[in-house]
Amino acid sequence: MDVTAEAFLLLAAGIFSLRWAWLQKRGEGRGFVVGGWLAIVSSFYVFAHVFGGERGITFALLAFSIAGLLAVTATLQLRNKRSEPRDRAMEPEQRRTNWMRAIGKSLLAVVLAGAAAIGVGVAFAVAMPMPATDKMIIGGLMVPILWGGGMAWTLADSKLLRATAILLIICAVGYGIAFLPNFVS
Amino acid sequence: MSKTPKQTGPRGKKNWLSPDFVRAMLAGHSALGLAFAALIYIVCLSGTLAVFVMEFQRWEQPDAPLVLEVPSEGALQKAAASAFATAKEKAEHPDLFIAWDGSRTPHFTIRVHDHESDFEREWLADGSGTLVEEINAPWSEFLARLHINLHIPQSYGLFIVGLTGVALLSSLISGVLSHPRIFRDAFAFRFGGSLRLQDADLHNRLGVWGLPFHVAVSLTGALLGLAVLIIGVLAMAAYEGDSEKAFAEILGPRAGENMEAAPLPDLAALMARVREDHPDAVFASADIEHAGTAGQMTHLSMGTPGHLAAANRYYFDGSGKLIGDGGLETGSIGQQILGALQAVHFGWFAGMPVKIVYGILGLALTIVTHTGVTIWLHRKREKGDPAPFWERVWSAVAWSQPLALAVSALVALSGAPGFILASYLAATAGSLGIGILSEGGKTGGRLLRLMGGAVLLAVVVLYIAKFGVQIHGDPMAWIVNSFLLGSGLALCLSGVSPLARRGVLAGSQRP
Repeated sequence: MDVTAEAFLLLAAGIFSLRWAWLQKRGEGRGFVVGGWLAIVSSFYVFAHVFGGERGITFALLAFSIAGLLAVTATLQLRNKRSEPRDRAMEPEQRRTNWMRAIGKSLLAVVLAGAAAIGVGVAFAVAMPMPATDKMIIGGLMVPILWGGGMAWTLADSKLLRATAILLIICAVGYGIAFLPNFVS
Repeated sequence: MSKTPKQTGPRGKKNWLSPDFVRAMLAGHSALGLAFAALIYIVCLSGTLAVFVMEFQRWEQPDAPLVLEVPSEGALQKAAASAFATAKEKAEHPDLFIAWDGSRTPHFTIRVHDHESDFEREWLADGSGTLVEEINAPWSEFLARLHINLHIPQSYGLFIVGLTGVALLSSLISGVLSHPRIFRDAFAFRFGGSLRLQDADLHNRLGVWGLPFHVAVSLTGALLGLAVLIIGVLAMAAYEGDSEKAFAEILGPRAGENMEAAPLPDLAALMARVREDHPDAVFASADIEHAGTAGQMTHLSMGTPGHLAAANRYYFDGSGKLIGDGGLETGSIGQQILGALQAVHFGWFAGMPVKIVYGILGLALTIVTHTGVTIWLHRKREKGDPAPFWERVWSAVAWSQPLALAVSALVALSGAPGFILASYLAATAGSLGIGILSEGGKTGGRLLRLMGGAVLLAVVVLYIAKFGVQIHGDPMAWIVNSFLLGSGLALCLSGVSPLARRGVLAGSQRP
């Protein structure tokens, strides 16, 4: 059999093992969970072996997503009832809010979290002992990750002052590291 | 279809995230998603289509020459010389860009651009290097610009799209953290019954299984969009405020100041030099800055198999001497990430199969964005606090885009490229008006789907009227027309189907 086909089969077997195990009651099918993940990791190894690390892992991740969605389609459950007790979904936290607080949160999440993320990314790009391209690209990649994480955190945290203080400290440290050499030289 | 899956409730073992933390995350996820929903939706939908922008270019020029094999060195040189001769009539020191990447498109393109006069022309050449016709694909250009900068002036537009990428990434983070049963629910998909649960299942399943793709495109998109801002701050910190100097650090050396006339670089000799070290390297593109001057700088891109980057860049100075390379294929980690950024963002690294997978997952991300809002609307309705105005608005936003994009394509085909953006904006505004003024989101959504489908069918009819039935033309024209025809019919059917009338299809609300 073609090695690529083997990789796809391993991936499919892994995903269907997980599907079987996760549709059982809790505590059942643990062996299938372990086996499923092992099969998936093995398929990633085969993909990397056939196509090289860069492309192989990328192909494997794409195949993983598509295979998972196909497995979900195979689990489609048609229902007529409006809802069942076990279908209760978690409700978001109910918060009393007003315009001032909403504007404050937006400024925190978009402006201050962004400034802090850029500060850390630029500090990394300036201060890390690495080749210029590496520290600029890695520092650049850190910015959206930190900004996104900061956004998620500030919007979830109900304590505005705490979030503001922490982000201001991060800004001070980040821009301090980035710009201090200019001032002392 | 399986039997009803056995599911367990939250009883028994504790989930890995506390309920309070999950509720707080869910509140943040909800607020962020609602604030950026329309922007994320437009960027995701246009991005999904932009994966196929080169196929749309072929559709817009079905009689253009297809170059299925890498052009010979002589053909590359001939095309460069012809374009340069034309450019010199209008520009002092034009830049030349010659490209052929068969894994992306069989079009052999040559572009000239002069920074001082802003003179720019772009041609398609045949396999012998003869410039056959100018590129004329205004709708593809419109689509690409819609995704890259929303047609807002470049740096502001890029920033807004970059910020949208950050918001999407943030939503993915908070979405995962507000999903304590992420594994056990990984295969649960209930259709029918409660609309809120149906959309929540669709939202969560598409979101979780597509997560590697969603993270990759939002992260690379955010970085591409925010690069100017980040580099600007970095330049202030470490490059005396000179952004160009900072960019040159990662994009390679620029042309020198010596503007004395000189022959164009001998591309065959440059390629031979690269093949001394990399015998299997294949031409992808050549970017010649200040072409025909002693200070000209050539970035010759040649690719070797097994990499995400389309090619590595090799830098040649005005004398044709190799002075370095970008390391995009086998260099340091930062260089390899830089080389893979665009390929990973658009899915342009392994031909059509990967583009199709990107299309499917891009559509999934668009649906995730759409259902994120409908879940909120359903929840409000279930709690006895419906928001009928916002139901109508969101339905109109969602279904305005297929209609507006179809209208813009119709205008492009009609030979009025200057009105493409205006028609898109007018169709979007008109759709919002229809949606808001209609009775319930269901009616407006159905009407917009019907209209979108009808306009798509009209696009195909106009296309055939304009180009005729070209048996020997580019087969991509037929593939794209079939896709448009199928999408048009699907939209029309979804507008009149019993499911849509009952409000079961996503985006339709119960009145």
